[in-house]
Amino acid sequence: MTTMTNAQASPATTGPARRGPRLSGLNWLVWRQHRAAFWTLIVGTVLAAGWIVYQRGQMIDALRALGWPGHLSDGWDMKLSSVAFTTTGYSLGFLPIVLGVFVGAPLISGDLENGTAKLVTSQSVSRVRWIATKLGITVLVVAVGTAVLAGVFGWWWSPVKGGENFASWTSGATFDNTGPVPTALTLFMLVGGVAIGLVLRRTLLSMVVTFGFAVVVKIVWSYFRLDLGNVVTITTNKGVLTSSPALPNAAYEVDRWFTTASGKLYGWGTCVTEPEAKVQGCLDAKGVVGWRVDYLPASQMASMQWFGASILLALTVALVAFILLWGRKRIV
Amino acid sequence: MSSGDSMWSDDVTDFRDAGLAGAASGGAGGGEESAIEAYGIGKKYRRGWALKDCSFRLPAGRICGLVGPNGAGKTTLMGIAADLLEPTAGTLRVFGSAPGSDEANRRTAFLAQEKPLFRRFTVAETLRLGRELNPGWDQQAAENIVRAGNVPFDAKIGTLSGGQRTRVAFALSFGKRPDLLLLDEPMSDLDPLVRHELMGTLMAEAAEHGTSVLMSTHMLGELENVCDYLMVIADGGLRLAGEVDELLAAHTLLTGARTDGETAGVPASLTRHTVVEARTSGRQVTAMVRPAGPVEGVWQAETPNLEELLLAYLRSPQAPPLLTASSQVSDRAGDRTGAKAVAA
Repeated sequence: MTTMTNAQASPATTGPARRGPRLSGLNWLVWRQHRAAFWTLIVGTVLAAGWIVYQRGQMIDALRALGWPGHLSDGWDMKLSSVAFTTTGYSLGFLPIVLGVFVGAPLISGDLENGTAKLVTSQSVSRVRWIATKLGITVLVVAVGTAVLAGVFGWWWSPVKGGENFASWTSGATFDNTGPVPTALTLFMLVGGVAIGLVLRRTLLSMVVTFGFAVVVKIVWSYFRLDLGNVVTITTNKGVLTSSPALPNAAYEVDRWFTTASGKLYGWGTCVTEPEAKVQGCLDAKGVVGWRVDYLPASQMASMQWFGASILLALTVALVAFILLWGRKRIV
Repeated sequence: MSSGDSMWSDDVTDFRDAGLAGAASGGAGGGEESAIEAYGIGKKYRRGWALKDCSFRLPAGRICGLVGPNGAGKTTLMGIAADLLEPTAGTLRVFGSAPGSDEANRRTAFLAQEKPLFRRFTVAETLRLGRELNPGWDQQAAENIVRAGNVPFDAKIGTLSGGQRTRVAFALSFGKRPDLLLLDEPMSDLDPLVRHELMGTLMAEAAEHGTSVLMSTHMLGELENVCDYLMVIADGGLRLAGEVDELLAAHTLLTGARTDGETAGVPASLTRHTVVEARTSGRQVTAMVRPAGPVEGVWQAETPNLEELLLAYLRSPQAPPLLTASSQVSDRAGDRTGAKAVAA
């Protein structure tokens, strides 16, 4: 029975002194098992953030030549190169898919496939706690990383936000890479990948299925992104040939029509086939008095992003609940 | 007793009529703690029932061998006890609590057949896993098992040989200090020397701490020296369960000459006994019987050894099962068991 009292670490297990906080229990296990992935995420975040900060510096130099930080010369957004910005934004757009496929899908399916799930759950810890810890640490690392990238990318974009010809706020490069959207999109695809892996129990298969899932989510999101806003309508009554409605700066035009005094709408191509001299007569005959334009003001961007992100986060929470419920069953 | 229990209850009667040691061991489950109690458990996969209507009791402190042909349901039974599988029917208790409860989880260690370990962990990290995740961890015991095999602590698991890996997996199971150790084919990839040494460790640890062990194996010869309790399952059902001594004492191996005019099969003089298996080669008849009274006729009788007994039961799945008194569960969950059995 003397062995019972000798539970202290013996020389064999006393490793070299480690830097940083000392993890214990499941936290230690999850970090140790996935440390390569976590360090890749952390280093990747730092490198990408460094790249963005450097590129912003380059852009600021170019902007200075155009009058920044004072009044920018007219047509500055045509003169400023947006290649680096849009390429970076485009690349960041793939991040949710990549993380879903390479971090989410194998997270639990890997353990199920090679039996280590049996190993862990036959220790004195419950399945649900183990799954929750894995999910929790991974979500934390990914959420912090994407939030940092969203922050610096938004900071890069902030000086040129008003430029209609630089990168529109409605494009994926800006809308999906700033504010809460990257974090929400990534977490949804990540947790989706975890759930798929838990159900399919095979690493490669769940990575393939997660890829399909993530691409579909991305397409659906891109398609409905602008439906998140409240369309604002502007109507004029000063004719259509000489006047045009004044939209706020960087507003996104959803649609425009000719309108009559009673509100009847005609397409803006109406009467276009008439000879030029007869166009006004044609429009008068139909009673057209002005324009009606539906648009989304740039000021709605943040609220649209938060609205969309909250939908995604709600779906993510539902997926987490599913994972924990599924994990209560005998999964091995 | 419901109809579903008849197979067992007939047998119980049969056994007790024979006036054998079972009665002497003092009643089913009386006072002694149970490591495992199963009430009519069954597990159905898509292909059919892997385990069907199994009711048994494993008293605490025994080293029990679990024997059966491949696919007989050994791993399924262990999986249910280790909370890796959910039984389709019936219930199982580990020290009175449900598998998967904190209590059962803490008191049970399970070593799966494939001995899964994290390949990128070092041996020391693997032991740390045990220390971090088990409140009653015994680092010294675990390290001793690893040291005995000269396995370097800083070696990655992926670089170890199969036997070394099994040793580390063993260390992890022992370090948990379980009250019930479930070992699924623990020795299958070890050389005879290591097998012998690890079996010695197992026996010593189990004896010192009163650990109950349920160990499935194909190595029949090995059982006799190690196990004091035995369970045989075949075709998803329990064929034999109880103390090794009692089981052996309950059987007689008869050898005799076939009388002329008798065709192959059970000799007429044995029909009043329970014949597990009768084999004829030339004029010689060998029969494994559970005698119900004195055996008449010209027979040479001897007590079988464990291997002979096991082979007889494994070869004859139709032989009526035998569960000694200590391996039977009381009727506490009888209603449930009966209903499940009928439904099955």
